[in-house]
Amino acid sequence: MKIGLYIHIPFCQQKCLYCDFPSYANMDYLYNDYVTALCREIAGQGGLYAGQVVDTVYIGGGTPSLLSNKELAVILDSVMRSFNLAIDAEVSIEANPGTINKEKLALLKGSGVNRISFGVQSFSDSLLQTIGRIHTAAEAIQAVNMAHQTGFENINVDLMYGLPGQTTADVGESINIAAALSVEHLSIYGLKVEAGTPFAELYAHGKLGMPSEDVDEDMYDLVASLTSSLGYERYEISNYARKGYACKHNLKYWHYQPYIGIGASAHSFQRGERMANTGCVTEYIRLINEGHSTIGFSEKVVGESAMAEFIFLALRTVRGLKYEHFNNYFNADFFHKYGAVISDLEQRKLITIEVDGIRLTEFGMKYGNVVFVAFLD
Amino acid sequence: MKKENIRNFCIIAHIDHGKSTLADRLLEYTGALSAREMENQVLDKMDLERERGITIKAQAVRLEYKAKDGQIYMLNLIDTPGHVDFTYEVSRSLAACEGALLVVDAAQGIEAQTLANVYLALEHDLEIIPVINKIDLPSADPEKVKHEIEEVIGLDASDAILVSAKTGIGIEDVLEAIVKKVPAPPGGADNPLSAMVFDSHFDAYKGVIAYIRVMEGTIKPGMTLKMMATDKKHEVTEVGIFRPYLVNVDELSAGHVGFVAGSIKNVKDVRVGDTVTDADNPAAQPLPGYRKITPMVYCGLYPVESNEYDALRDALEKLQLNDASLLFEPETSVALGFGFRCGFLGLLHMDVIQERLEREYNLSLITTAPSVIYKIYKTDGQLVDIDNPSKLPPVTEIDHIEEPYVKATVIVPNDFVGAVMELSQEKRGEFKDMKYLDITRVMLTYHLPLSEIIYDYFDRLKSSTRGYASLDYELYGYQTSNLVKLDILLNGDPVDALSVIVHRDKAAVRGRQLAEKLRGIIPRQMFEIPIQAAIGNKVIARETVRAMRKDVLAKCYGGDITRKRKLLEKQKEGKKRMKQVGSVEVPQEAFMAILKID
Repeated sequence: MKIGLYIHIPFCQQKCLYCDFPSYANMDYLYNDYVTALCREIAGQGGLYAGQVVDTVYIGGGTPSLLSNKELAVILDSVMRSFNLAIDAEVSIEANPGTINKEKLALLKGSGVNRISFGVQSFSDSLLQTIGRIHTAAEAIQAVNMAHQTGFENINVDLMYGLPGQTTADVGESINIAAALSVEHLSIYGLKVEAGTPFAELYAHGKLGMPSEDVDEDMYDLVASLTSSLGYERYEISNYARKGYACKHNLKYWHYQPYIGIGASAHSFQRGERMANTGCVTEYIRLINEGHSTIGFSEKVVGESAMAEFIFLALRTVRGLKYEHFNNYFNADFFHKYGAVISDLEQRKLITIEVDGIRLTEFGMKYGNVVFVAFLD
Repeated sequence: MKKENIRNFCIIAHIDHGKSTLADRLLEYTGALSAREMENQVLDKMDLERERGITIKAQAVRLEYKAKDGQIYMLNLIDTPGHVDFTYEVSRSLAACEGALLVVDAAQGIEAQTLANVYLALEHDLEIIPVINKIDLPSADPEKVKHEIEEVIGLDASDAILVSAKTGIGIEDVLEAIVKKVPAPPGGADNPLSAMVFDSHFDAYKGVIAYIRVMEGTIKPGMTLKMMATDKKHEVTEVGIFRPYLVNVDELSAGHVGFVAGSIKNVKDVRVGDTVTDADNPAAQPLPGYRKITPMVYCGLYPVESNEYDALRDALEKLQLNDASLLFEPETSVALGFGFRCGFLGLLHMDVIQERLEREYNLSLITTAPSVIYKIYKTDGQLVDIDNPSKLPPVTEIDHIEEPYVKATVIVPNDFVGAVMELSQEKRGEFKDMKYLDITRVMLTYHLPLSEIIYDYFDRLKSSTRGYASLDYELYGYQTSNLVKLDILLNGDPVDALSVIVHRDKAAVRGRQLAEKLRGIIPRQMFEIPIQAAIGNKVIARETVRAMRKDVLAKCYGGDITRKRKLLEKQKEGKKRMKQVGSVEVPQEAFMAILKID
């Protein structure tokens, strides 16, 4: 089976106020050492997977575009040399519109990157400021246009709804602007206040001013209907794309396929085992330099837990779960095991049961967790 | 030892007035336990007893004391339960003694609980020795307390012993007073055996261990004993004393306190208050005062997970081995499935059993609101007792309903008399009496419905008197009341486990409060849930739990699926604490919501 490759760049110019991901600001002094360590891990992992074809690469963060042209070139070069990339491999990179220019885009294009994902979140300057983004709406528009001009034909824009002070009209406007920019792919997420973030602090003191649940639901409904009317097909709960532009790398997560994570805190999934590198950047660099394992967490997912994961991941996609895939993977009988669960969920109109599989209804997408939890023991 | 050198005594005290600490000091002083064995509050064996500072089961211990007259005395201390739920057990413990230490806190004075027990002790003709404890406290006022003892109880308190059980002051004086003032037990060792059971516990090897006070005659291994109330016969295998652990002896004779074992399998065969006699040479009469224990408070106990039903039954059976006053029988609820209707002596007893089931047996339980026993006089002339509101017959078949009333005694500083009266009236109380204990403290007597006491009377009393009031009550009798059944409907379906019987005048308010409270407890679900309170077909209150608008996890960054699964597992855990009632998921605490409305 072809595998995916994820490379994590844990640096940001400034941490967004809602973000609880492994990413750090003010660590410029580590970029060089980190890239060196990263390339060593890439080379090492490349050796381990020499016989396998990699058909997706995803450089995420953090803000990969924060690295210098040279650093990016080194990483990409290392990937191309160390792994056996498929001829039509999808190679994605995440970029912050505030950290991009023509030269950088050209370099990425020239180094084999063929998909670029802009973290835009909103095309409203006041909202961008509220959530702690470093770029303006104009810069975001400019960045997407530049990417097109550079020759990128597969561009994603990340948007968020449910932001403090956001209106339903704001959400619609941002989607319309993104569509007008002719991006091929949209990822649209609802804000979730995560513990330990500045937003959590504000929320606890009642100062965040999030939209009401009613408004939040209106936004959710608008996202679904507007994207569809603009010609984007929903293929996963939060992901929309023009035909043929679904993100192949992300689909690997949903389809229970293997991927290798490289870099601090990067996650891997291989032969039923989930692993993650240490999340501490300096420790990661030290371990690599000393030739030690960088694994900070590993868990063999088996039995019912594995089945539950397989199911909830598959059900996040619009295609849903195919019995055949499940039965083959686990050498089990889906119906035999979950017959009662799925008939209950169908009665509650959360899923539809089809000849070859089950999938969430539109209503079920809204209450995905209710469905997912039903499969946990 | 000569009978003349035996003294049997107990300690009467209000919670926190220092009974257990004093008992510990007596044990320590007489060397009943080595310092190594000494653990604070030896006699309160259960963790729960220690945590709550109360005694739930009676305990006994034999002390040997060399008095100033040079003779050695055998002192049997019988520790009594210290809560209104256990009044009958207290009376049996008192009946096993000739004397009592009346322990009163030097700063707080007499409380309602103390008073009730002193009256009980006086009824049993016990020699009462006033002990004023905590004299080391800066706020101690022994003279005032002496005065109170004389005024309120009519006891001579001039030679009350001043003690600090904490520091050890006055302990020897207490021992000397026991020797001098408490009479030696009466009775003859050669008379036909009669011994009173004042408690029991179950031992996995020996069977039921009965705690007895021998009144007449002698008991020894090899004899066949007969329980006079149940007529059950057993061979005596062991007799012994409490040191406080069990120590076998050859025999126990008139005046002695100890235990008897006889491969008795069922704790119900050994009832507190029953008389043990010799089957071959029985006493002519049983000892006076025996009565069958009848629970006053009932509630439903249901496992949260229906597959824990058997485990719950096993646990209840095990607890019953040591507690004959715990009653249970299988019950089914449409809402909660299979469970048990359990009868308790009172609210504390209920609380303790529940907590032990959850702690010691690791069960997750749903408790329904406690109920009293209502007497239903039906139009066809039948009389039915019901302990579960959902069993109330249709209104058309009911002629009238009677509910249990208690005589409640409240002692309170006079500033709060108004507050207590207001509360008691609100709780349908009938004023009976008011007495000044001294210039600042007042004793009020009310007849109150027991159902109001178990609802929130005590909590409200405490809060409206800033904790100063003390309460004691005893069952007084049944009275006719205008009662109705209040039903709760979730999503249009009545939930049997949420029904309560209330006074008609209060039904509307209770219905509104309850619906409102449930709205706060029941989490939002995928659909809107109407909550209705109804009497018969008439809806008297309605609230709505609005539908949850959406419930779906957002992004999954960088393939961290583990985190996502853990979030879902957490959600699942929360769901497990819910009970599925029809289409609605109801948290456990909803079923207790009926008990207290703040």
